[in-house]
Amino acid sequence: MLNIKELLDTVKASPYREIVIHAPHTGVVEFTGLKAGDRVHGRFGEYKEKPGTLLGHLTREKNKKPIHAPEKGEVGMIRTELEGKFVEAGEPLVTIKHFLTRQEVIELVLQKALYLFRAPERAKYYFVPEVDQKLKVSGKRSVKVREGMELMIVSRMKRETPLSYSGPEGIIYSVYFGRGDNVDEGEPLIGVCPEDQLSVIQDVVARIQSEWEEE
Amino acid sequence: MSGTGHKVLIANRGEIAMRVMRACVGLGLDFVCVHTPEDVHSGHVRLARELGGEGAVYRIHSYLDANELFAVADAAKATAVHPGYGFFAEDFRFARRVVRRDRPMEFIGPSWWVIRDLGDKINTKRIARSLDVPTVPGSDRPVYSEMEADEIAASLFEFQATQGIIDGVIMVKASAGGGGMGIEEVGSFDEFRSVFRRIRNYAKRNFGDEGVLIEQRIFDFNHLEVQVVSERGGRNHVHFGTRNCSIQSTGKQKRVEVAPGFAPGVVPYTFDAARTLADITDYSLAMAREAGYDNVGTWEWIVTPRGEPFLMEVNTRIQVENGVSAVISRVKGQPVDIITEQIRLALGQSLGYSQEDIAFEGVGIEYRIVAENTDNRFTPCAGTVTRLSWQEHDWLRVFTQVPPDAPYDIPMEYDPNLALAIVWGTDLDEAKARGLRFLDELVLEGTVSGREGAFYTNIRYLAGMTGEILEF
Repeated sequence: MLNIKELLDTVKASPYREIVIHAPHTGVVEFTGLKAGDRVHGRFGEYKEKPGTLLGHLTREKNKKPIHAPEKGEVGMIRTELEGKFVEAGEPLVTIKHFLTRQEVIELVLQKALYLFRAPERAKYYFVPEVDQKLKVSGKRSVKVREGMELMIVSRMKRETPLSYSGPEGIIYSVYFGRGDNVDEGEPLIGVCPEDQLSVIQDVVARIQSEWEEE
Repeated sequence: MSGTGHKVLIANRGEIAMRVMRACVGLGLDFVCVHTPEDVHSGHVRLARELGGEGAVYRIHSYLDANELFAVADAAKATAVHPGYGFFAEDFRFARRVVRRDRPMEFIGPSWWVIRDLGDKINTKRIARSLDVPTVPGSDRPVYSEMEADEIAASLFEFQATQGIIDGVIMVKASAGGGGMGIEEVGSFDEFRSVFRRIRNYAKRNFGDEGVLIEQRIFDFNHLEVQVVSERGGRNHVHFGTRNCSIQSTGKQKRVEVAPGFAPGVVPYTFDAARTLADITDYSLAMAREAGYDNVGTWEWIVTPRGEPFLMEVNTRIQVENGVSAVISRVKGQPVDIITEQIRLALGQSLGYSQEDIAFEGVGIEYRIVAENTDNRFTPCAGTVTRLSWQEHDWLRVFTQVPPDAPYDIPMEYDPNLALAIVWGTDLDEAKARGLRFLDELVLEGTVSGREGAFYTNIRYLAGMTGEILEF
């Protein structure tokens, strides 16, 4: 039986996540004057249409690309020694100490409660067109999965093969990968909630909604 | 040479990056290479450090980000760009940017307008027809109109009938599709229209673009190539013979390439194979002259069971299989490296020889070594190579990015080729015997998710196909 209190206590004991912002590509980096300890915010607005705090710019071939904070938090480390220098792709630039949001906590706890259908191998994953369409139109919880159902397309080395679902029948409650992401073997792809456990899961969500206070 | 002082940005990965590096070193040129995080353990990164030091290696996000490549070129002060094959090799806009940007560089490939003109298949066909060069029928681009589709389908069935193919089949596929989705075979013109409509709707629904390609389902044709090398300025052209690339995986990926393209007098053919080879070579050179071709390139042909050739397309770049043409070629009695020729010609050197100076000796076979399950639609393995080794011979060259002394995780983002092996023999029988010997001595072991039994290779398949080389 799921012990929600215990799970919540574990999360509360370490309610932060360190986010490392890497250079998304090569280029010359310029920071905006932020320093360690400064507060930053992530995307906001009714539709999350407004970008987070501007952390710096990365310029390559006259293209100046802004780098924004993806989440709210506090600047931990900022690599000011790289100011004005050419950096390679993947170079760590800034770290942000991020206090977990209510939604993130829900997702964390749900990973313990849901049946996780995991990636059988390192690859890119896509839902088959019929499922993808349904997820887009009607949302995650509109899709029911059952053993043997052709659910995804596994894409690697220019080849695509179908992947059938294996696990208990239920509805897709969480999706853990994005379009075009590389997913490592064993990482969860989706969280499935068996129908008879739907009320338990909804209780978990309701409880976190009421108990977790965001910063 | 006039190219001395150049520094070449190698905008590619794996074995081709390694061959370009070695060619640069041979020409006395500096180079800089790039790699993505997935390729950090690739042999091309290690070789770049060995030959060029730490400063010769830059980590990038993607081989397909032109801005990033140019940023590296500027940071490294590169003066020329070699695109290798794939990625930007046949992108005329990229080639044009290389030579027209604020800090212009040399593009090591054909001039951008040549890539543009021959990359446009309709234009290529127009040039071909103007020279009475036969071209393969089929759609050159996505088809949207039902009337146009009907015309193309009718012409394909008619073409197959003229080739003596009784049960002709054509393929109808979603232009934007992939992985076998949205493809149907059609066996008669009566079925065609309903299949076309169905695939068009499928394409629209799933890919947002209802373009459909209509092509021949090729069963009994051979796939031949002519290796052309041309000087900058587009005036002097030579060829380095023909190749036969008919042994392919089910996904139409080449697995064995042989030079020359047929073995008349050795293998029995129902047509004059020597005449066919001469025809495709003459046609290719005529088109190269007409188009003002000005670097290395490959003219790709299908040859019917009656020995009739039809031009498929022109690849305006260096090909994977360039080495199998080089291994049978001699220029003024000396060995030749086509990548070296490509670089020095792109940097402005003159050819320095004519067709009369080029001679051909023996037979070359190139094997593409891939971790794949040939019994299951050639599905590639995304695993770890734990051992790749072979016996050295003076008739063998192996090109690989797999490090010899460390496990190698096969990146799943790129082409699954692990190694190319080029075998040479004085004649077809010797080349085949040596090929089989190489494959027998080759060791390729690995794991998938830690399991040895799940790691597959195509070595047995390659050995099996060796017996069929150059047979029609």
